[in-house]
Amino acid sequence: MAAGAVPVEERLFSLVLALVATDHGLTKAEILSSVQGYRHRYVVRGDNASLERQFERDKDDIRDLGVPLETIEQATEAGNNQNLRYRIPKGAYDLPPDVTFTPEETTLLNLAAEVWREGSLSSESHRALLKLRSLGIEVDGPMIGYAPRVRVREAAFEPLRSAIDRNLVVTFAYLKPGERAAVVRTVEPLALVKHEGRWHVATLDRDRAAPRTFLLSRIVGPVTPTRTTFSPPEGDSAAAAVQELDRVLATNVARIRVRPDSDADSRLRRQALEPSADTDLRVNYLDANLMADELASYGPEVVVLEPSALRAAVIDRLRQVAASHTGTDR
Amino acid sequence: MSARPLQAQDKLAFLLSLVPYLIDHDGVSVAAAAAQFGVSEQEMRTAVELIAVSGIPGGSGQYQHGDLFDIDWDEFEENGRIILTHSVAIDEAPRFSAREAAALIAGLQYLSALPENGDRAALASLTAKLARGASSAPSPVAVSVRGIEDALAPLRDAVVRHVQVEFDYRDAQGETEHRTVDPLRLDSDDESWYLRGWDHLREAVRTFRLDRMSGIAVSDRAVTPASGEVTLPDVLFETSSTDLTVVVEVAEAALPLLGDYLPEGTRTQPGRGPGLVQATMRVGHYAGLKRLVARLAGMVTVLAPDDARAAVADWARAGLAEYGESTEEGSL
Repeated sequence: MAAGAVPVEERLFSLVLALVATDHGLTKAEILSSVQGYRHRYVVRGDNASLERQFERDKDDIRDLGVPLETIEQATEAGNNQNLRYRIPKGAYDLPPDVTFTPEETTLLNLAAEVWREGSLSSESHRALLKLRSLGIEVDGPMIGYAPRVRVREAAFEPLRSAIDRNLVVTFAYLKPGERAAVVRTVEPLALVKHEGRWHVATLDRDRAAPRTFLLSRIVGPVTPTRTTFSPPEGDSAAAAVQELDRVLATNVARIRVRPDSDADSRLRRQALEPSADTDLRVNYLDANLMADELASYGPEVVVLEPSALRAAVIDRLRQVAASHTGTDR
Repeated sequence: MSARPLQAQDKLAFLLSLVPYLIDHDGVSVAAAAAQFGVSEQEMRTAVELIAVSGIPGGSGQYQHGDLFDIDWDEFEENGRIILTHSVAIDEAPRFSAREAAALIAGLQYLSALPENGDRAALASLTAKLARGASSAPSPVAVSVRGIEDALAPLRDAVVRHVQVEFDYRDAQGETEHRTVDPLRLDSDDESWYLRGWDHLREAVRTFRLDRMSGIAVSDRAVTPASGEVTLPDVLFETSSTDLTVVVEVAEAALPLLGDYLPEGTRTQPGRGPGLVQATMRVGHYAGLKRLVARLAGMVTVLAPDDARAAVADWARAGLAEYGESTEEGSL
């Protein structure tokens, strides 16, 4: 760091304080010429281009933290961005006074943060805990005895989450279950949902002009954001996506027979539609190809009775595995 | 999105959270404040010193006295106590960002599988509070779980009370044995829950899948003192020297589907056809391998060793036999 340089956090902190303190907002020139971290580098009537770019990045960083940094346009000077004013309305900045948490709730929230061990969900849930700590609630640490974890191992997760936040249309290559070649899809991403242990992205597929849900594990290659933005539908997209997945799940029913006291028995019985001591079970599934993959993995531990297409798909998979692992032709 | 490291943003969040805490906890010790925020005392001192010289440009634009925060420096330097004598601009905790609230809400949705969280109304009210505390609507991320994991209740009880548990356990090879375990912790990995503890039969730390346990009985016997000294590794299953090495050929597009078996950075070499790669992976036993390969029919082929190929082929043929299908070749 150069001598006398102001640390980044000090500049950001000073900017937040200055913008909360102003009622009418400050212009960019006022900010750059007076706020700690900028003012020593400001050249009066000179070229401040790099300082201005710094300010643009700082605004984004501050907004990322959930700080409501507003831009006010003077009605008479629309389009003249030198006269935009910036401020942080205190009422929108402060955590509302009725948002308080009991020690039990705080313990639970600590555990909720522990669920994420990687990526943005982990860093953001820990930042939320930091804000909770400012309320001075006693923190007993995570609930003893539990170490829950939800994986976010798919590379597509972060770029999709970022595109969802910015309402950007994205493209990616998708290897549909049951198919051998990937196809490029262009979609409006709406929500990320973990359902039946798998991450899905709910979208509006631009080419098909219809809602489509994709498995993140089947997105092969990078998620590329385009420059096109879209207007997301009103309402809670995540809840709607869960509801839709549940609806599809309920429409597909397989009748299967499990071998008693096998892995297939214990795992599939938990998903059975009705409790039964019998070896014949009815289970729901989301996608016929994925279900056939899962059932094939159980080998002799499960037999599909109905529907016949699913039965044929499992037999087909088992034949393929037997053939490719037989003999020395490899 | 900013390409800069998150560090400065995290430090800013810390400063913005610390100010209201110090206002509400007049005269708090550096040690207590550091403990509250989970930072070192030195980090706390640095933050307080920064706050003490920060403020607003003020009417003069010159950051004059009165435009700045101030602390009782004598108390701070001599007694390690933090007393804010003047504050400016902010006095309340900042709101959550849409993404921060979403991360906690989705985490809570996952925790609805815990028996302790059977009260859905309490979870709903907590979720609503997080949403109200966010500066805009929580970003759309959700976790849907099937329901409450009933087996967790007795096991958690045993973990908390430090008593032994007994159960019948069917291992990956299908063998069932009676186990007596000093329970240490309940871990999960997505949909699967595991008990980790000191296994008296194996005299070692072991991980047990909850869905392979039956006849769970919580005893009144205290756990053995030695189990209290066990540190659990972060990973549920460690690779060991007894692991088997197999060579597989995988459709390139299917590589991510192999997950933990082929960690990122595993070296691959070109396969026998376009779009195919070969890699070496370690497995604990063939029981797991044959299930994995059958799940990815057509996308993964075991090339070597021969007994691994045979284990996979036998598994598939045994499956076909259940359907009354014959295969050209008998069991090897």
